[in-house]
Amino acid sequence: MKSQIDVSGRIFYEWPDEGCRKEMRFSDPSQLAEEPYDVVIIGAGVVGSALAYKLSQYKLRLLLVDKNYDVGEGTSKGSSAIIHTGFDAAVGTLESQLVTKASIMWPELIENLKIPFQQCGAVLIAVDNEQYNQLEKIHQKAIDNGVTDVKVLTSGEVKELVPNVSPEARGGMSIPRESIIDAFSIPIAFSEVALANGTDILLGVEIVDVEDADKSIKKIVTASGKSIPTKLIVNVAGLGSSKITPKYNGKFFDLNPRRGQFIIYDEFSRSMVDKILLPIPTAQTKGVLVIPTISGNLLAGPTAEDFPLDDETAADTTIDGLELMLKGASRLMPSLKDLPRIGSFAGIRCACSQGTYQIRYNDGHPGILTVSGIRSTGVTSSPALAEYLVEGLAKECGLSLVKNPEATDSRPENRWPGWWKRPYENNGAVKNRPEYGRIICNCENISQGEIIDALSSPLQPFTLDAIKRRTWTQTGRCQGFDCMAKIAKIISEHCNIPLNKITKKGPGSEIAC
Amino acid sequence: MNSENHVKVAIIGAGPSGIGLALGLAKRGVKSVLLIDRNEEIGGIPSVYKKKQGGVRTFINLIRGRVVFGEQYTQWLAGKLAKAEPAIWLKSKVIEVEPSEKRITLINPDQGKVHVTANAVVMACGARENSSIELGWLSGTRTGRTFFSKTLLELMDHHNVLPIKQPVIVGSDLNAYAAAAKLRTMGASNATILDTRSRPKSPLYSRIYFQRWKSYPKYHGKVKSARFIGNGAASAIEVNNSMTIPCDGIVLSGDLIPNSELAMLAHMNVEVHSRKPVVNSDYQLSEPGWFATGNILGGFHSAEWCYLHGKRVAKFVATYLKNNK
Ligand SMILES: Cc1cc2nc3c(=O)[nH]c(=O)nc-3n(C[C@H](O)[C@H](O)[C@H](O)COP(=O)(O)OP(=O)(O)OC[C@H]3O[C@@H](n4cnc5c(N)ncnc54)[C@H](O)[C@@H]3O)c2cc1C
Ligand SMILES: Cc1cc2nc3c(=O)[nH]c(=O)nc-3n(C[C@H](O)[C@H](O)[C@H](O)COP(=O)(O)OP(=O)(O)OC[C@H]3O[C@@H](n4cnc5c(N)ncnc54)[C@H](O)[C@@H]3O)c2cc1C
Repeated sequence: MKSQIDVSGRIFYEWPDEGCRKEMRFSDPSQLAEEPYDVVIIGAGVVGSALAYKLSQYKLRLLLVDKNYDVGEGTSKGSSAIIHTGFDAAVGTLESQLVTKASIMWPELIENLKIPFQQCGAVLIAVDNEQYNQLEKIHQKAIDNGVTDVKVLTSGEVKELVPNVSPEARGGMSIPRESIIDAFSIPIAFSEVALANGTDILLGVEIVDVEDADKSIKKIVTASGKSIPTKLIVNVAGLGSSKITPKYNGKFFDLNPRRGQFIIYDEFSRSMVDKILLPIPTAQTKGVLVIPTISGNLLAGPTAEDFPLDDETAADTTIDGLELMLKGASRLMPSLKDLPRIGSFAGIRCACSQGTYQIRYNDGHPGILTVSGIRSTGVTSSPALAEYLVEGLAKECGLSLVKNPEATDSRPENRWPGWWKRPYENNGAVKNRPEYGRIICNCENISQGEIIDALSSPLQPFTLDAIKRRTWTQTGRCQGFDCMAKIAKIISEHCNIPLNKITKKGPGSEIAC
Repeated sequence: MNSENHVKVAIIGAGPSGIGLALGLAKRGVKSVLLIDRNEEIGGIPSVYKKKQGGVRTFINLIRGRVVFGEQYTQWLAGKLAKAEPAIWLKSKVIEVEPSEKRITLINPDQGKVHVTANAVVMACGARENSSIELGWLSGTRTGRTFFSKTLLELMDHHNVLPIKQPVIVGSDLNAYAAAAKLRTMGASNATILDTRSRPKSPLYSRIYFQRWKSYPKYHGKVKSARFIGNGAASAIEVNNSMTIPCDGIVLSGDLIPNSELAMLAHMNVEVHSRKPVVNSDYQLSEPGWFATGNILGGFHSAEWCYLHGKRVAKFVATYLKNNK
């Protein structure tokens, strides 16, 4: 018999063939805990993984499940990666409270979690009189939201803070604590710590049903027909959550993807902007932001386009969308119209007609929690939201919380991403491991050593996209021209998987058909 | 080796143009030449194209009047280079250059981060293919099995993997038809080729490469927009919002973009859009003592052209060295 709390959790991938390391393949629930879990979390986005992180501080048997082949591959993978202060949130809402609280938590959290982060500040820019007239109102709202360090700016001050700003700028407001973060790292870091604290993780496992929802021991059922017993269920499956609620008689709500497209500019444009540039929302549109990224690029976006649930084109980028962003971005900074672009991507928000931050305890039956509609601020709010949910689970669902004295809240020092710490700057490191001197990604100067570190990291990922999110390879200006085949080869050799079975993001995306 | 090295000429890139340059310098008696490449072997792009039974030869060797495989072309270059005897550092990635001190910074597994100074530096860094956004008329989801023709070739020629059986190829130049023919020899069906132009850019190569099968890739011209379709991997491409062409993989083969980033990073003159470095009639960059040769100059040039160009630029480099002792 294993002790009640495992020293470290188990991780498995449900994978149909030899495209996965053999020892990591999930084939039978007996690979998991012998007794029912205390809590199963469905969905490993920023919210689900933050919840696992927080719950893993207690003596609980936990399971985190996601249908994708890495954590954070849903809505969470395609955000603007801004840690908001909440200055413009609707005053008095739960969303506003959680965002404001989380924005204060992040500067310390990033040290524990080893997540690249920069408090670069934002500047709200008014480019016409209509917008200018709104500044005072926005300023007051910020104060009401408790964000008191904002400052209204004259046009001269805007120009000083943002040298390449549009000559049309009439004035603005500075929001010094708006920050940028490596959003890819957030669900990864949360999950790694949870795993270290004993949380089990299943990836590539879609939950399609819930049995015995009314009993004290419930069962979640996977697409391949396996059932896993648990006392509590938390459905934080983002855009997938409304498909699961009917299985446990949860209250109706409807969701739809709201697309946000982005343009990625070449790294050379980054030197022109070091702050987030925010437009002033008008009645017609929220406007296009200009966002420096922590990895050294520059983004313009996002759009807001609604689609029906399950529309396969919801995550497409479009030529019209790109035009729209160019137009919007160049209103703030005219030179953005002509700067070289290297790529584009689209994220899909989880829009809910019943409102944002839907949180329902004992939904349908006791012991089931539904969390959905975390539409536009989940990257920021996740740690505060997770704390809020932990308290709620104790209060509303009777979850007993006993601190686990052995639990950690941090990733080890060596989990700072290589692209952030640059091992090649340290000749000792290269001497010890020459792989750190073998550059594979020529745009971002990422070495073979960093790729191998990612492959051997706790979740032991092995898709090209999972490696991308951990190393930033394949994201530079060549978009994989130089490194993609080399990385596939490294994965194949390191994980002992045939090269033709290496995938972009799981079964069905093999590099060879 | 200590961390500060000095050479007469440092050449960044050991492709056809960098090798041509090293040979040209040797012929002019310039000693102390360092040839640097980030790859494991010399040869640049040609080294990717391995010799294969029944394969397609795409490298014209005018000097010997033959058309050969890239690998053979590389061997021929290596043979020539052996006589010039420059120092060669492989697996060495140049990450930074400092124009006024004529210093370059590189990283390799043996030495870590090293600086090299030189009397003259030559950028022979080649070019890469356009990404879909740079082409401007492609949209959709970035699906799996979307390749650049070079990545495809790395998988097929180096690793013997056939990634695509039913290909769609975007672009209609030599590279596009070479990729189509190579796919065909490995057992894929004839590719469908898309481009914005009404006629293929290099129809001649369709004829040359596909003669042996007597059936040719299908060409769709005047394409205004194309959208990638596919969840895991590419499953189709939709053209002009109307026609859908099924496929199981997509190859991007567009115009080339010069690898001029090192020059840009050091604030040398580079055209913003084409990313062509600005050179004078001696192929000198905007900083004295810095030169460029081969495909980094922009356009699409054959390996042979680049090799001969490198030899030509060697003359200007030698003259510069003589005048700036
Ligand atoms: C364009 C855009 C820009 C944004 N910018 C910002 C920003 O700058 N700052 C900020 O704070 N927020 C931002 N957001 C919002 C933020 O990204 C989201 O609020 C957050 O990612 C939501 O996280 P989540 O965990 O709720 O959802 P998700 O990340 O979608 O997680 C849900 C998970 O559930 C899994 N799942 C679904 N169904 C099942 C099933 N049946 N079985 C198992 N697993 C399942 C999915 O695979 C997914 O991984 C932005 C969002 C978008 C789209
Ligand atoms: C995909 C593709 C297919 C082609 N197919 C053909 C063909 O079939 N036949 C033909 O005749 N021509 C072909 N060409 C044209 C080809 O580019 C030329 O034939 C020739 O290889 C160009 O020579 P080069 O020396 O200028 O550049 P390259 O051959 O590209 O060599 C440049 C070298 O510089 C190195 N390098 C670049 N930056 C750095 C750095 N920072 N640090 C260290 N090393 C660096 C690279 O690793 C590379 O080895 C093709 C081009 C491409 C892009």
